[in-house]
Amino acid sequence: MIWYLLKRLGLSVLIVLLAVAALFIMLHSIPGDPVSIALGPRATPEVQAAYAEKMHLDKPLVFQFLIFMGNVFRGDLGTDVFSGNSVSAMLIDQLPYTIMLAVAALGWAVAVGIPLGCLSAIWPNSWIDRVTGILSVGTIAVPSFLMSIWAILVFAIMLRWLPVIGAGDAGDPLDQLRHLILPAFAVGLGWVGYLARMVRASMLEVMGENYIRSARAFGLTPRTVVFRYALPVAILPTITLIGVGFGGLLSGTVFAEIIFSRPGVGRIIYDMVQARNFPVVQGAVLVTIVLYVIVTLIADLIVSWLDPRVRDSL
Amino acid sequence: MTKLTQSRRGFLQTAAFAGAAGLTGSWPGISWSATGDTLTVRFDTDMGSLDPGYYVGGHPPNDVNWCIMPALVHASEQSPGWVASPYVESLEVVDSTHIDFTLKKGLMWSGGHGEVTTADVAYSYDRMKESEWKGDYVAYDRVDIKDSHSGTIVLNQPFAPFMNMTLARGTGIILCKAAMEAAGGKYTTEPPATCGPYVMEYKASQYVKMRPNPEWTGPKPAYANIDCIVVTDSEAGALAFEAGELDCAKITSTAYARYQKNLPEGGALTVAGALQYMWMGINTENPKLADIKVRQAIQHAVDKNAVIQGAYSGTAEPSNGIICPGLIGHRTESGYSYDPAKAKALMDEAGVSGLTLTLRTLNASERLLAAQIIQANLQAIGITVEIIPLDSGPFWEMGQESKGDTWQDLELWLMRYGAGPDPFEATQWFVADQVGIWNWERWTSDEFEELYKKGMAETNPDERHKIYVRMQEIMEETGGYVWLTHEPEVFIHSDGVDPQFASSGEMQLPYFKPA
Repeated sequence: MIWYLLKRLGLSVLIVLLAVAALFIMLHSIPGDPVSIALGPRATPEVQAAYAEKMHLDKPLVFQFLIFMGNVFRGDLGTDVFSGNSVSAMLIDQLPYTIMLAVAALGWAVAVGIPLGCLSAIWPNSWIDRVTGILSVGTIAVPSFLMSIWAILVFAIMLRWLPVIGAGDAGDPLDQLRHLILPAFAVGLGWVGYLARMVRASMLEVMGENYIRSARAFGLTPRTVVFRYALPVAILPTITLIGVGFGGLLSGTVFAEIIFSRPGVGRIIYDMVQARNFPVVQGAVLVTIVLYVIVTLIADLIVSWLDPRVRDSL
Repeated sequence: MTKLTQSRRGFLQTAAFAGAAGLTGSWPGISWSATGDTLTVRFDTDMGSLDPGYYVGGHPPNDVNWCIMPALVHASEQSPGWVASPYVESLEVVDSTHIDFTLKKGLMWSGGHGEVTTADVAYSYDRMKESEWKGDYVAYDRVDIKDSHSGTIVLNQPFAPFMNMTLARGTGIILCKAAMEAAGGKYTTEPPATCGPYVMEYKASQYVKMRPNPEWTGPKPAYANIDCIVVTDSEAGALAFEAGELDCAKITSTAYARYQKNLPEGGALTVAGALQYMWMGINTENPKLADIKVRQAIQHAVDKNAVIQGAYSGTAEPSNGIICPGLIGHRTESGYSYDPAKAKALMDEAGVSGLTLTLRTLNASERLLAAQIIQANLQAIGITVEIIPLDSGPFWEMGQESKGDTWQDLELWLMRYGAGPDPFEATQWFVADQVGIWNWERWTSDEFEELYKKGMAETNPDERHKIYVRMQEIMEETGGYVWLTHEPEVFIHSDGVDPQFASSGEMQLPYFKPA
């Protein structure tokens, strides 16, 4: 297990470095002079030159990359060029909102999707299975932004049950929970379908295994067979999927953050790419990459712990 | 010693409960309020820098500055476009180059920096002469200080837009000299010292909250608190208004058309001005367009009313130039009309057939719709148009010689500028020294240059009107412009709120009051 952990850690560091290098190249390949976009059309040549020097934009790309990585290793993600605030402080401020949304979205998707998948697998081709199948495909197919608008129209405008903008009053968990419901519903809905289909397929495979037939032959109750023997094995690929999905949601919640005007890392990245505010984009994407790698690493470690057979491969 | 053990099944159960418990935890957040003495409005973008010398201007920095910073005059929708602010005891335009003012006493800067004084006024305006907005201060010479609270602004030449453009907009705010010098002379989102009816609490990309300034001795605004929530998506802003979470929100022309037909209960619409001008630019130096007959054919081929109906749901004003409705110099008709037959005849006269052109535009939905309508219009006279949608980065530098070679390939493009409350501002981008900077149509005219200088100094409204009308005629005669729209700034707001706007569309939040 220790050797597996070390191998995975080494691979994770390599992935982060490659991803950051790719990010740096892609970001600086976006058309548009970052100086004129950042400072606007009225900036004088002197101000533009001072800005370029301050942001090291007058230096070769490789040099800029090395400066950036050097600062990262010192824990300095740079400074927002507009406000002058620390990028690290900005991200520390925004990250909890994104994590909260991702956890809530995946949380309810897991709570609904996994039982639906189990029910479908226990009674394949039954009406439950068919209804679940239709709902699963439907939730996967409907774009999340459309579901967001629909949810706002029904629950915020027509019924006025739930708020639509912001993240809730500071220090009021209930208010924050109310603000979380609609975005989490919109972001998580597609995942309900994914998880239900995934668990159904895994469960059907596991339910055909010899040890399950043996368990049944020993007279164990169907509930015991499913929840004690089948589900723990069938859930393994789902854990990996949840890990990857959670990592993706750290930056993939951007549409919900924009539509619901929630603070968050995805929205910061979107806004700052528009403004060519490179230090913030680089810092935010770096943090997202690191978190993504950490989450998938944790998911892999959990799977390897639950199923020691996977430790032999990376 | 107790050994901690964890079974795999136990881990899964614990993780599930921990996840559920985590959801109910306490996290920082923003407030949600649209009632009582709190006004809640939409900011369509983050606040950005507030420093009048180095900011982007317009909305929302001006909205914020007018809440927390002093100014001698404020913008007004009424003629002459400005009013004396609550910060001055008296203000008199003595002659075309002298303005006397006396500040109110007892208006205190935050941070213990003392009263607002004449020295602060002089420092602020002197500083602007060296800033990115120095163009607005081209006629400003100095402030003669009479005493701590009164002085005279001296101009080096008559400059008609000085009051309603230079001083009444955000570039006319007054900074605290002592605090600015201590802070190094520049700032971004945190002014070194403020003085206004509100103090500001800002959270990047989330909100600006205005709260009562306990040291403020001037007139109290109607709303004690103002929450400015950043809602970048326009449709989300409209939906938030309908959900009762915003009292006032700027909306798109699509939403405007929708609300004109079906206004939500308790809602009202206000058009805050149409100080934007949109046109299709034509590169007069491009070899394909060098023949003026081809350019004139394009002018006659484009149906701007179809653009207004198709892309702006009929809500935008048709444009006949760059001077917006309500301003001196506004034209009510152009020198050409939509006439496809004439356009075809001009193409025949030019001996051009099978012409293919590119039309570049920002990749915003309304612009793309407008581009498609124009594409169809030009197809009707035998010109094939390829639409090139662009991100704001490459779009705004494509005509600038300092940003690459794209300017050489420019053929057609859709452009929209925002204007100030004086025609001077709209015309400044088309003078000869702007060729290759913002004059992408790449023409020059001695008469235009002469009129530009004359219009700046002329104070007689009738004479100014003639000057600016003629300047637009010159532009049109180059064949470089197809006038399209003046898009309005429209706000939806609660019918219980009486909003106040500058003619350039910014919200004058301290002047908002219950209806």
